[in-house]
Amino acid sequence: MNAFQDILVFVVVAPAFIFGVFALLWLLDWVPSERLLSWITGLTFAACTAGVTALVWKIASARSITVTFGNWFAVGSYHFPSVLTVDRLSIPFVALAAVLSGLIGQFSATYLHRESGFLRFFLLLHLFAFGSLLAFAAGSFDLLAAGWEIVGITSVLLIGFFERRPAPVENGLYVFGIYRACDVGLLVGIFAMHHWAGTASFDSGFPTLTGARAVVVCLLLLLAASGKAAQVPFSGWLPRAMEGPTPSSAIFYGAISIHAGAYLLLRAQPLLAQSVLASSLVIMIGTATAIHGTIVGRASADAKTSLAYATLTQAGIVFIEIGLGWKWLAVAHILGNATVRTMQYLRAPSMLHDYHQMHSAIGGQLSPTGKQLEEILPDRVQLWLYRWALDRGHLDTMLERWVIAPLSRLSTYLSRKDRALSPTTIRPGRAVQVSTAGLTQRGD
Amino acid sequence: MSVPGWVFRTSILTSLSIAAPWLAAVVVTGFRRQVRVFGCIAALLSIIASTALVWRAPHGESLYETLMLLFSSLTLGAILLLPRRDSEAGTIAGILVLLGSTLLAYSTGNLLALLGAWILSIVPFLWAGWFRSRAWRPAVAVLTSTLALALAIGFIAANTKIFSIGNLKGQSPGGIAAFTLLIVAAICRKGIIPAQAWVADAAESGPLVPSALLLNGHFGALLVVKLIVPLFPETDHLFPILSYLAIATAVFVAIRALAENSPRRLLAFLALSQSACILSGLESRTAEGITGALVHWVVVTVSTVGLFAILRLLEVRFGENLSASKHLGLAQHAPRLAVSFAILGLALVGLPGTLGFCSQDLLIQGTLTTHPLTGLLLPIATAMNAVSFFRLFSRLFLGTHRTGFTVMADALPRERWILAGIVLFVVLGGLFPNATVIEHSSEVDVVDEAIPTFDNLNRSTGYSYKNSSGQNPSKPTIK
Repeated sequence: MNAFQDILVFVVVAPAFIFGVFALLWLLDWVPSERLLSWITGLTFAACTAGVTALVWKIASARSITVTFGNWFAVGSYHFPSVLTVDRLSIPFVALAAVLSGLIGQFSATYLHRESGFLRFFLLLHLFAFGSLLAFAAGSFDLLAAGWEIVGITSVLLIGFFERRPAPVENGLYVFGIYRACDVGLLVGIFAMHHWAGTASFDSGFPTLTGARAVVVCLLLLLAASGKAAQVPFSGWLPRAMEGPTPSSAIFYGAISIHAGAYLLLRAQPLLAQSVLASSLVIMIGTATAIHGTIVGRASADAKTSLAYATLTQAGIVFIEIGLGWKWLAVAHILGNATVRTMQYLRAPSMLHDYHQMHSAIGGQLSPTGKQLEEILPDRVQLWLYRWALDRGHLDTMLERWVIAPLSRLSTYLSRKDRALSPTTIRPGRAVQVSTAGLTQRGD
Repeated sequence: MSVPGWVFRTSILTSLSIAAPWLAAVVVTGFRRQVRVFGCIAALLSIIASTALVWRAPHGESLYETLMLLFSSLTLGAILLLPRRDSEAGTIAGILVLLGSTLLAYSTGNLLALLGAWILSIVPFLWAGWFRSRAWRPAVAVLTSTLALALAIGFIAANTKIFSIGNLKGQSPGGIAAFTLLIVAAICRKGIIPAQAWVADAAESGPLVPSALLLNGHFGALLVVKLIVPLFPETDHLFPILSYLAIATAVFVAIRALAENSPRRLLAFLALSQSACILSGLESRTAEGITGALVHWVVVTVSTVGLFAILRLLEVRFGENLSASKHLGLAQHAPRLAVSFAILGLALVGLPGTLGFCSQDLLIQGTLTTHPLTGLLLPIATAMNAVSFFRLFSRLFLGTHRTGFTVMADALPRERWILAGIVLFVVLGGLFPNATVIEHSSEVDVVDEAIPTFDNLNRSTGYSYKNSSGQNPSKPTIK
C-alpha cells in the first residue's frame, strides 16, 4: 500500500478504533473525563481532516485511490468485497463527514457539558463517523450497505438520547421502523446486482445491467434512498428525529444522513441514466418532497422542525437534479446545503439571543414585509393548505392508517387466537407482584 | 510427561464430552450442594473434549465438532449466568442432561442413539414439570416430534435393518412414510408452522435459561442436516415445501411479535422467526444459503441464549412482571446489561459489524436465488423482527426516569465477563468472519453430502443446482 492508501484506511478506521477502545474501557468500568474525551475526539477528527486534505490533493491528479483487502467473506460464487475507494464523487462526502464530525465534536464538548449521556454521545458520534465514512468510501454496494446500516442505528440511538422521556424513545422506534423497511430495498437491490451482474462492486466499473433488470435495481435503490433522505412518502419521520440533541440533529438531518440517500443515487447514476422510468420517478419524488417540505415548513412552529423541512426541500431539489442527470450540480448543492444547515442547526438554540443582538445592533426590530407567496391563493385554499401543512401532509396519518394499523390489528388478532388456545396467560415462574421484590443487595 | 495416545481417540473424547455432564447430573442430584461448581466442571470437561475433537477433525469435516464446542461453551456460560435463586440442583442437573444429550445428537451416526438423545433432551422438561401442566402445547409438540421420529426410525429399520446413518445415505429408506414422519418430527421440534405456538409457551411457562438451551439445540434443523437431506435424495420436489413453511413461519411469527408485550414471548418469537430462516437456507440448495444457515445457526444460538439469560437477570432484579407495554427505564440501573442486550439483539437481526450481518447476507443471497418470490419475505421478516426487538429494548431499558432503587442492579463481575465474552464473539465473528465461523461452516460435510444429491437431481429430475450468479456448477467452490 502506498501512503495515500494508508491515509484512506486511517481516515475511515480511526473513529471506529476510538469507539472500540472507549466502549471496551466503559465495559470494564472506566469512564474517561469529559476533557480527555473531547480532546481525543478533536485530535482524531483533526487528523482525519488532515488525511482527507491529502486525499483531496491526490485526487486532483489521480482519478481514484483504491485499497483492496480481499473479501470480507466468500462462499461459493458469492463474495463480499472489502474495498475502499475514493474518487471525485465520494471525496466531497468523505471530507464533509470528517470535517463536520470534528466540528460537531468540538461544539458538543461545551453543549453537552455535564450531560449524563456525554460519553454515550461521543461514542455514537465516533460510530456514526465511521459508518458514514465507510458508506462514502466503500468500493462496493455491499460495504456501502454496512456503513449505511451503522449510520441508521446510530441515528436512531441518538434520537432517543434523552432516554428518560418516552417521546424521544418512541420517535426513535418510529424512525427505526422506517429505516428498516426501506433498507429492504437496498439489501434486495444488492442481491439483484450479484445475481444478474455477478458483482456489486463499483471500484473498477459499474455492474453491467440493462433493460428491466436495471429498472428493478434502480427502483429498489430508490426505495432505500427515499427512506434515508426522508422523501415523500417517508417524510414523516424527519420532525420526529428532532427529539435528539441539537448537534446530532445538525450532522444527521442537516448534513450527512439526510444526504446519504442522494449519495446512493449518485453512485447508481450510470444505472439510473439507463432507465427513463426510474429517472422520472426520482424527479417526481423529489418534486413532491420539495413542495411538501416548503409548505409544511411554513407551518412549523419550532426552529429545528422548520430547519428540518428547509433541508428536506433542498434534498428534494437535489433528487430532481439527480433525476435529470445533473450529477455535479447535485454534489455542489449537497455540499452547500449541508454546511449551511449544520451552521443553522447549531445556532438554533441561540436564535433568540442572536435576534436580540441583531435588534440591538440595528437599533430596533426587523420589519417583516408581510408578503408571502401563498397570499395569491384564495382564502379557502390557504386555510386548507394550512391544515394540510399542520398535519404534515397527512403522511403519518396515511402510514398509520394503511400500514401500521392493519399490521397491528393482524398481530393483535393472531395474538388473541393464540392466547385463546393457550391458557397460560398468567405470569411465569415465581409470582412476584411488586417490581422491586426481587431486588437484593447483590443483584441476585 | 507425555499424554498417552489413546486419550486423544475420537471415541474416547466424544464419550468424555457426553458422559461428563451426565455423570455430573447424577452427582448433583444426589449431593445437592455446590451444584454450580459441579455443573461448571462438567461443562468445562465437555469443552475440553470438544476442543480436542475440533482439533483432531480432518480439515473440512468439523461441523458437528464445532457445534459441540459451541453448545458446551454456551452451557458453561448459561450455568455461570444463572441467578443464584435458579441455581438449584434440579435445574443444573436438567441443564447437564440436556448438554449430554445434545452432544450425543450432534456426534452420533446411529439412528437409535439419535432417538435416545432426542428423548433424553426433553426428559428434564417433562420430569421436572418445566412445561407446566396448563401449557399443554410444548409437551404435545415435543412428544409428537419424538413419536414421529421413533416411527420413522421404525420404518427405516423394518425396511433396511440398518441403523448406521452413513450406510443409509441416498437410499430413501422407509420410503415416503419415513420421509413424512421425519419432516413432521423436524417441524414439531423446530416450531415450524403449524407447530409454532409451543415455543413461546415454553419460554413463558418454563425456566428461561434451560428453555433457551432446549430451543437452541436446533434438533429440528439437525434432523434436516443429518437425516432428511442425505437420506432422501429422490424426494427433491418436497423439499421446497419445508422452505415455504419455514419462510411462512418467519413472517407469521414476526407479525405475531409486533403486538406482543410479554418479554419472554416476544424474545421467543424473535428467536423462532430468525431460526426458521435456518431451514430455508438449508433447503436453498446453494452454497451461500447452506453456509449462511449454518452461520446463522451459531448466531441465533449464541444471541438467543444471551438474550434469555439477560432477561432472566432483569426479572430477578426488577421483578417477574416485566412488560413491554410501558417504558421501564431499566438502563439507568443496569447499563451494561442494556448494552449487552442491545448488541446481542441487533446481532440476531443482522447489525453490520456482527456475525449476524454475514449470516443474514448469505441467507438472503441463498434463499432469493432459489425462491425469488418467497425469498423476498425473508428480509421483510427480518426487518419486522428488528422493529420488534428495538421496541422491546426501548420499552425495557429506556423512556422513563426510574426512582426508588438505591442498590446496584447492573451485571455482577461474573455475569459481566460472560456477557462480554458472548458480545465479543458476535462482534469479532462479524469483523473477521473468515477467521471464525465461516471457515468451519464453509467446510461443512453438509454441503459435501448434499451436492451428490443435487447431482442426482440434475440427472434424474432435470432440476438444476444453481449458485447465486445463476450458473450451474457441478459442485460449489468453497473459498
